[in-house]
Amino acid sequence: MAAKPRVAFFDFTGCEGCELNQLNFENQLLDMLEHVDIVEWREAMDDRPGEYDIAFVEGSLSTPDCIKRINDIRRRAKVLVAVGACAVQGGINGMKNTRPIEEVREEVYGKDKYLFPTLPALPLSAVVKVDVNVRGCPMTQLEFLKVFTALVMGKQPVEPNSAVCVECKLKENECVYEKGMICLGPVTRGGCDAHCPSFGQYCTGCRGLVPEPNLKAMEEILVKHGLSVNEAWKRLHLYNSHELEGLKS
Amino acid sequence: MKLNESVSTQEPQDLYLPVMSEVLEVKRLTELETLYTVQLPGGRDLGHQPGQFVEVSVFGVGEAPFSISSSPTRQGVFELGIRRVGLLTEKLAELKPGDKVGIRGPFGHGIDLEKFKGKDVLIIAGGIGLVPMRSLINYVLDRRDEFGRLIICYGSRSDQELLFTDEIAAWQEDPDVDFHVTVDRGSPQWEGKVGVITTLIPGLDLDLDRTVCCVCGPPVMYRFVLLALKSRGLPDEAIYMSLERRMKCGVGKCGHCQINHSYVCQDGPVYHYPDLKSLEEAL
Amino acid sequence: MDLKFLASDRVEAFVSHLMQQKTVYAPQHTGKHSVALEKVDDPAAVILDYGRTMQSVKKFFLPPRDELLSFDLTDHSFTPAAVEPLDAILLGIHSYDRAAIDRLDYNFSQGHPEKNYLTRREGVVWVGVSFEPDEFHFSGSVGISPHETAGFDAFLTRVREGYLVEVLTDAGRELVSGFELPPAERPKPAPGHFHQHIFLPQAKLNEVMAASYNNEIWAEMAEKCVGCGSCNIVCPTCYCFNVEENVDITVTGGTRERIWDGCMLREFTEVAGGEVFRGGLAERQRHRVMRKFKYLSDKTGHPWCVGCGRCTAYCTAGISIVSIVNRCVSDFEERHTTAM
Ligand SMILES: Cc1cc2nc3c(=O)[nH]c(=O)nc-3n(C[C@H](O)[C@H](O)[C@H](O)COP(=O)(O)OP(=O)(O)OC[C@H]3O[C@@H](n4cnc5c(N)ncnc54)[C@H](O)[C@@H]3O)c2cc1C
Ligand code: SF4
Ligand code: SF4
Ligand code: SF4
Ligand code: SF4
Ligand code: FES
Repeated sequence: MAAKPRVAFFDFTGCEGCELNQLNFENQLLDMLEHVDIVEWREAMDDRPGEYDIAFVEGSLSTPDCIKRINDIRRRAKVLVAVGACAVQGGINGMKNTRPIEEVREEVYGKDKYLFPTLPALPLSAVVKVDVNVRGCPMTQLEFLKVFTALVMGKQPVEPNSAVCVECKLKENECVYEKGMICLGPVTRGGCDAHCPSFGQYCTGCRGLVPEPNLKAMEEILVKHGLSVNEAWKRLHLYNSHELEGLKS
Repeated sequence: MKLNESVSTQEPQDLYLPVMSEVLEVKRLTELETLYTVQLPGGRDLGHQPGQFVEVSVFGVGEAPFSISSSPTRQGVFELGIRRVGLLTEKLAELKPGDKVGIRGPFGHGIDLEKFKGKDVLIIAGGIGLVPMRSLINYVLDRRDEFGRLIICYGSRSDQELLFTDEIAAWQEDPDVDFHVTVDRGSPQWEGKVGVITTLIPGLDLDLDRTVCCVCGPPVMYRFVLLALKSRGLPDEAIYMSLERRMKCGVGKCGHCQINHSYVCQDGPVYHYPDLKSLEEAL
Repeated sequence: MDLKFLASDRVEAFVSHLMQQKTVYAPQHTGKHSVALEKVDDPAAVILDYGRTMQSVKKFFLPPRDELLSFDLTDHSFTPAAVEPLDAILLGIHSYDRAAIDRLDYNFSQGHPEKNYLTRREGVVWVGVSFEPDEFHFSGSVGISPHETAGFDAFLTRVREGYLVEVLTDAGRELVSGFELPPAERPKPAPGHFHQHIFLPQAKLNEVMAASYNNEIWAEMAEKCVGCGSCNIVCPTCYCFNVEENVDITVTGGTRERIWDGCMLREFTEVAGGEVFRGGLAERQRHRVMRKFKYLSDKTGHPWCVGCGRCTAYCTAGISIVSIVNRCVSDFEERHTTAM
């Protein structure tokens, strides 16, 4: 990458939880920003490949217009970064995006609601090639900074791909299963340093599934701990609808 | 036996600290591969055997194992032939003469030269497998009278991907080297053989009683090469193989390279084929 | 043997006595259900009567995240990480965890002896405590009694009113000197009974495991296992690690760190280009169990499973290493009786 990488930020139908421009920028990031040129998106500009060295894109794709726009961005960007669970795994669903997360969670875990529309919003990777993922719902500033620095250094950021359980056990957290909770850590990609279990909460799977997950075994674990098969799959669907639908077909 | 009785009494060492070394030359071999000439501080000798490897690191990027491509007969500097495939290797591809890299090693069990001396040496190298085998080839060429015939079979995916083309040209010229090369897919300009590496083996002129063979290539290659060698009647005892596994420490501590009970970074990467037969996961 | 008595109500004072000599690490509650080995600040917080800690004493000698060096990207120089002897009293350690350290000592001193681990191992005084086997312990099957004192400087055996204290080495003697301990009035009781057993003597186990390479059990386990790696991460004799680079946000420097890794994780054997040498969950499970009961025991003559029961206790899928091994044993015996 040349002297000052040109960086752009784009936003689709996310929940605004990640909202890059609202990032409570830490001093370090401000330092970093000195090493880059932030370029604005201008709709009318004619296509110029390589116009952006790095494009950060948040939100999932839900309309034909989004799809046209992401294709435009891809053409113009050397490195395309998907930011947040919506962009990486697809929107958890339309409803979640418009309402406070807690309320949605309650509803999802409520017994008889089936929240998943047949066509969940698409992750960026369903339409264009994504070079780097910043996972999480919301993504953490720390992780964003890590990816940002790596890219500015001209290096591909490393994406952790073992289960949340590994980081959880490294920290010697008490497993929430022992407290009667149900946790998706065993099949969820780590990298968050077991954020939720470290606060005594269960993992809802916001970082998406590990590669080659053994979902049948995960279902068995969830059922053994008191969920019905249907409830178990609802849990797994929360952040993984797109991938799971793909596996089915 | 008590556990501590089976332990060596060497002084504990700083195993993970690299020696910062200078890249003297960088030479593009192909689109993907680059040859680096590296010098330890003060031109110190690396002291390796053909088949051994070093751990190469770039701070902030990572560390990975790479075979030493030069022969120990050529002292003072050593060479690494590296294919661009990921994080570290992409970064290495950007190096310029004068840059520093971290070196640990040499590590691993290389080629038992004593067992090769006085014998006809058959080398079977697929793709990047030529990088470590080149160390042995040049060793044999530099100590020509200590060995019998030198027979080299080299297979590459395409003629554009052939490595060390100037050296290959020299081997082809050399009456003392029996050199064979084939490519999976040839370009229109390619005039040589087309076909997988195993197609070279039936036609080789071998003296079965005095041949030792060393095989190095991509994982899929080994089984087919073995079948071809066996059908030529080469005894198992004459076969050596250099294996690749994920490695982190290079010194038998991190567990990554393990194949059943064997650590590739300690017992390998070069194995005597009869020893591999007890390692179910090896081939 | 000189057996002394430590009454329950004097345990706190005893811990204080130890704290005056060196830093003390001992089991303490970290949650309602969990106990962990932590540095002692309050002698009253020490718990000597516990089932198991999630992480064993291994974490002091091979920390889960262990800096190897820090580097400066401006001039490409580096500084080795400072590694200090632990130099502490480890109090309330179970016999199987002490036995696990013998195995790690072997690993880090054979071949290329490793300074980082061996330096940290220095200056440790070991005070063991007996345990009451729970539904997961099976160390008796690998020859480690709840009362095994090997490797300890002093050992506490739980009795109703307190602990019987055995002083085993000079270091142990020094530890208790100055602390009034009356002689015990009765001998050491028999150790508690195990509820889990491997039904085969250790001497024959390697042979059985060798014959179990193609057992169907591996594929059966692969159906239940999610490959989360917890069983590796909690095992006191697992020592595998990965190495990672952390770059500071300012891109001027960073650290190279090693982090515990495990053979149950898919990327453990993955190399550039995507080849995974041990990709299947069945092969990974086999490798884990064989490492404990065959590969390393062939080499050292000792089982590398010390029967702590952690891998089973912390497996959310309920996979039990004892059941796996017993299945190998029963299949082996069946084959051999039918063959005769
Ligand atoms: C004994 C031995 C000799 C080798 N010799 C050569 C050689 O001469 N030339 C050459 O081009 N390549 C060689 N390799 C392969 C080389 O190690 C990998 O290409 C390299 O690790 C890729 O690193 P990366 O960071 O670019 O790739 P990434 O895919 O980004 O790798 C990330 C990490 O995974 C690990 N890893 C990935 N692939 C391998 C691998 N094949 N072996 C061990 N660890 C791996 C490394 O620790 C690396 O840091 C050898 C491997 C071994 C085991
Ligand atoms: S709390 Fe969740 S992530 Fe942590 S160990 Fe238990 S199952 Fe795994
Ligand atoms: S623990 Fe699970 S839900 Fe929580 S941040 Fe990590 S991946 Fe997301
Ligand atoms: S803890 Fe259980 S589920 Fe996880 S990898 Fe180990 S055996 Fe499999
Ligand atoms: S294999 Fe399981 S029971 Fe054996 S020592 Fe390891 S964690 Fe404990
Ligand atoms: S590379 Fe670490 S044990 Fe072989």
